[in-house]
Amino acid sequence: MADTEALAEALGGQEHQAAYIFDPAAEAPVANRPAKRRRVSKKHAAQPEKPKENHARQFQPLLNGLESSECLQLRQDAFLKSWSRVQDRIDSVLRETNQSTLEAVTGFIKECTVERTDSRIPSALIITGANMASQTLLFEQLSDSLQTRAGAKVVLLRSGDASNLKAALRRIIFEVVANPSDAAEEQDLSLGNDGKRYLNYDLEALRSHLAHHPSPHVIVAFQDSEAFETGLLTDLILLFSSWLDRIPFKLLFGVATSVELFQARLLKSTCQLLYGRQFDVEQADTIVEKIFKTAVAHVDAPLRIGPAPLRMVLNRQRDQAAGVPIFVSSLKYVYMCHFYTNPFSVLLADNAPQITLQAEHLEVVRSLSSFRSHVEASLRDKAVSHVQSLLGDDDYLNRQVREQLNSSRSWARRSLRTLYILMCHQGQTSKFTQLYVDLLSQGVDGLNQLSDLVSSMRRMDPAEMMSLLNQIVTIIKDGDGNMGLKGCESESVPSVALLSGIVTDIQTLCREAEDAGRTLRSEYSGQNKIMRTTVIAQKVQLSHDAATLTSQDKSYTRLVDTVIEHVEALLRCERAEDVWLHEAWLYDFKTPYREVFMPRPRSVVQRALLRPHDYLACSCCNSSKDQIMPTLPATAILYHLYLETGSLINVADLWTAFFGIVSEDEAHGLDERTALVMFYRAMSEMRVLGFVKPSRKKVDHIAKLAWL
Amino acid sequence: MAPRRKAEAPEPVKAAPVRQSTRKRPAAKTEEHTNEADENDKAAHPSPAKRPRGRPTAAPKLQNGASQKKKSIYDVPSDDDAVGEEGSNKDKVRAEQTHVGDEEEAEEVATTPKRKVKTTTSPVKASATKNIITPSRATRFTGGETPQWRRNDRSARKKSARALIERVVAGDASDEDEQEELAQEIYDSSQDEDEEEEGLEEGAEGKTQEIDESEAAAASPSKRPRGRQKKETAPKQKGRARKKSPTPPRDLPPYELYFAQNRPGAAKTSSNTLASLELLTHEEYFSILHQHKEHHAADIEYLQSWHTESFAQWSFELSEGFSICLYGYGSKRPLLHKFAKFLYDEMPDHESSKIVIINGYVRSTSIREMLGTIASAVDPSHRLPAGNPSVMLDSLKALLSSHDVNITVIINSVDAVPLRRAGTQTILAQLASHPQIQLICSADTPDFSLLWDSGVRSAFNFVFHDCTTFAPFTVEIDVVDDVHELLGRKARRVGGKEGVTYVLRSLPENAKNLFRLLVTEVLLAIEDEGMSGGENPGVEYRILYNKAVEEFICSSEMAFRTLLKEFHDHQMITSRKDVLGTELLSLPFRREELEAILEDLMS
Repeated sequence: MADTEALAEALGGQEHQAAYIFDPAAEAPVANRPAKRRRVSKKHAAQPEKPKENHARQFQPLLNGLESSECLQLRQDAFLKSWSRVQDRIDSVLRETNQSTLEAVTGFIKECTVERTDSRIPSALIITGANMASQTLLFEQLSDSLQTRAGAKVVLLRSGDASNLKAALRRIIFEVVANPSDAAEEQDLSLGNDGKRYLNYDLEALRSHLAHHPSPHVIVAFQDSEAFETGLLTDLILLFSSWLDRIPFKLLFGVATSVELFQARLLKSTCQLLYGRQFDVEQADTIVEKIFKTAVAHVDAPLRIGPAPLRMVLNRQRDQAAGVPIFVSSLKYVYMCHFYTNPFSVLLADNAPQITLQAEHLEVVRSLSSFRSHVEASLRDKAVSHVQSLLGDDDYLNRQVREQLNSSRSWARRSLRTLYILMCHQGQTSKFTQLYVDLLSQGVDGLNQLSDLVSSMRRMDPAEMMSLLNQIVTIIKDGDGNMGLKGCESESVPSVALLSGIVTDIQTLCREAEDAGRTLRSEYSGQNKIMRTTVIAQKVQLSHDAATLTSQDKSYTRLVDTVIEHVEALLRCERAEDVWLHEAWLYDFKTPYREVFMPRPRSVVQRALLRPHDYLACSCCNSSKDQIMPTLPATAILYHLYLETGSLINVADLWTAFFGIVSEDEAHGLDERTALVMFYRAMSEMRVLGFVKPSRKKVDHIAKLAWL
Repeated sequence: MAPRRKAEAPEPVKAAPVRQSTRKRPAAKTEEHTNEADENDKAAHPSPAKRPRGRPTAAPKLQNGASQKKKSIYDVPSDDDAVGEEGSNKDKVRAEQTHVGDEEEAEEVATTPKRKVKTTTSPVKASATKNIITPSRATRFTGGETPQWRRNDRSARKKSARALIERVVAGDASDEDEQEELAQEIYDSSQDEDEEEEGLEEGAEGKTQEIDESEAAAASPSKRPRGRQKKETAPKQKGRARKKSPTPPRDLPPYELYFAQNRPGAAKTSSNTLASLELLTHEEYFSILHQHKEHHAADIEYLQSWHTESFAQWSFELSEGFSICLYGYGSKRPLLHKFAKFLYDEMPDHESSKIVIINGYVRSTSIREMLGTIASAVDPSHRLPAGNPSVMLDSLKALLSSHDVNITVIINSVDAVPLRRAGTQTILAQLASHPQIQLICSADTPDFSLLWDSGVRSAFNFVFHDCTTFAPFTVEIDVVDDVHELLGRKARRVGGKEGVTYVLRSLPENAKNLFRLLVTEVLLAIEDEGMSGGENPGVEYRILYNKAVEEFICSSEMAFRTLLKEFHDHQMITSRKDVLGTELLSLPFRREELEAILEDLMS
């Protein structure tokens, strides 16, 4: 059926056209010519339309299609709003990160006009790191800022654009000359303004153009300098330097490795033509961490991304060197998934407090796992009536759900504060992102960082302890603007007061101890014991040591104990999954992400061919083992046979085997010519899939290409 | 010759200890002492120690034919010099041996031809073979029926050994494995014989022992098997293991499988050919395909409908700036066509949003045409200035920014051959990253992701969906031609008679005349020679040129070439070189078609 349909389509002729405009209206009987001819007159009526309106019907009703259109719309709006907010934040981070580099480079270019460094070409060596994807962004920004701020003409060269000297020159000249001119005043490039004709790779053309359109800098940027052929680079540099007195060339090199390696590739004489300065760009992983802080861990981030997808996104950054844009789009996709598939995402809308959930929503709420654990917990607390109304009273549940709306934010605040306090600890080595993911998945109790912190606090001397306490107090009081963590005095005033009180206490104790000519120490600092044991006999000394603690030391020890107790109480943060109704704001699924961003096409194709039943679900081809059934699609049969062959395949034998299999079935058995048709088709598909290629070793043989 | 020389060179080296031992012998006057010395020697060099007995052949070597001398030229001179010396040594030995019995002397002379052969055989085996020969044994065989076949056999073995060595020295373990195997076989079989021979010898040894004690000691049966096992069974086992070449175990990981299947000489296929099978023509293929009913049609249909359910999701993803790539087995073209219809129906207005479909599998697809079509979708009256694709892309972007149009680009088979060039993919990626362009494509091969480096891929901003459809590739693949190409039978051509007339209509009179001439010549050649292997016989380039000049079709070779090139561009002619390197021109049409074309041209 599909066959005949496709064949009918094929007669239409468009399938054999390389490119055409799809227009079913015009496709009707007279579709021999593409539609483009006939649409000439209609086009001018095009009225501008807001692209936003395209979003109108994108979301599908959930809850078995029972979701009201109102909720649907809310969900969609919630997505647009929350993502655009996050996107803005990310954009500003990106803008800021490259800002310093941009300014430095622009400054360098500007200052070099005056200097004229003994006829050497000013060149900025920009250490971009290995990430190709972020290079593009950087160079586009550079080009923009140089054009606007330094009035320069910038040519971006990628290694793919310029394979030889002529092509490179042609491109440079074209870009510079065509840059300012709009489509209106297109001019013949080969025709100089003085009426002379130039070859299109003659820099003289550029010079004469510049005579009429003066520009202080002509900047040639080699984006991926490592990928350029050394000879080509050398030639270009030589040429530029010889034209330097007539054309103000400046160079930018994107260097992925290091300046030393870059220099080593060039001849010494060539290097001497350059007047270089090195500029470092912020590396991709620090940018990623910044984005992570503003977009993922931020208190105002509407959606909490769970540990599973986060780990995958972060691992992908590390394993595939995926780069910043991919990180951002991964986040975006997670947002899309959440709002597209989760009916409770409605609760993340701005006007959520006014929303009344549908009965279907509430039904689903009651089956949530977090609801169950909440109910169990309430029962443990003997709040029976609460539970009863939760189960029976829709209005009550609705109200309760609305009350929980802020749970995301409060959880985020708690978790961030915990994180910051943990990060204060000097010996803390793991990265913020890692710590965040761990906290998300295990809660603070599962972290060994906590016990590390506590045990090291015990051993701290008073100075260290005071600085730590001060840090903690600032964190609690001031928060962190970048993360949206506000100083939240209201709920934690007692702890702030307590901690700062302890700091002053320690200070006084210190002073007292100093006056007495001793150093203040706690019972836990093991240092003293060791010192003493080396001096005098051990047994006596150990008991003696405890006795030597002064009263200040003792009170200090007590203070340390209270501090630890308090900090432990402060660092309370459960797993995100334990929060009631976390389903509305936590997205913790692996599945669509991995398939969508890290596909395994090989195994998919392999599976389709090995076990077509998995896809077709037909009655005929179901076999427990990977047996060859005569009813399998022809290509699958051939693939099974293919797996058994060596590197060289005799087509005659393959055909015999194939025909043997196909004809054996009584019901569907094919006659020879039909089988041959299927064989042909399967063979050609095998070729298209890249499994075989022609071989000249023997007659009627093909070579195997893939070992799956 | 050179390899053999090399191969023989080691002999003198091996001979050196022998000579030493022979020299020792006169020093130790008595037989008992010689025995001792011999045994000591054997301990050190088990095989050469026995050589003194075999070695005397050096003397007959001198007396024997010039062929021997020729060979010794290749030896290191010292050996040649040594021959004389050895001869004198031998005399001493012989003098000693005469104590034992006169018969031995006679035996030696009698056996020389055989032993001589032995000494000159492969150096690798030399020691082993020389082990065997004790004068006493020799008597049995020379006195018995050392028949012609044995000698022939030996020479065959000699040759095969040489072949083996040459192969090793030349270092080409290439395709002619059959020969190698044959050589190996001959070599092995003669070794078997040697072993049999040996068995006999060992039996004989018992008797000879009494006669010649020193001999027996040198080749005592108790010791021999050990040495022999080491020397002979080892290579033999190897040979056998190779011959068997068991099929590798089934669940090897892919890389192991690769090496298992690609080790030299691993691939042994039968020499069956498809000669007896009548290959399909386009007509037959399509007519059978029309009648054939795919019994999975319903399942395939269901699979497709299952994919259609995610259309809404795809359009959401597209609108959020992602590109989509559909992969998996089966043609995704019908699915994408449906998706295009879906999008088209969704669109609020067909002026500001357009769909452009690109068929990557079409052989003539070029990036310029694609960009041109997209530009004409943006503004039908606009013509993109042709030029460098990246320049075209820039002007397309400029055009887009001045129009408020959303374009959805649908690419069928983004990994098809015409689009595989890196430059093309970069352009596509830049296109996809433009905010007014949405891109959805399908990929057919399992390795498509290798097309994109990280920069290109992040510009594409792909999301991937598994869309295994099992739908046949009806349009994407030219099945018959593809398979024939795979089998090495070329069948690329313009679409039959109509295509040819169509092309010729647009060509000048000269071209028509030339084509007529070519058709006539090829038809004549078919009459004469008949078809060979599905291909028409060719006409020699020179002859055709001369005839064309005679008929005033063209005056210079230049013009002739130009005309031919036109045909070649339309794949109306084929050219190949025969064994001698003369260029042959032919036509990729069947005889009936050719006749029809000729009729057309004549009218």
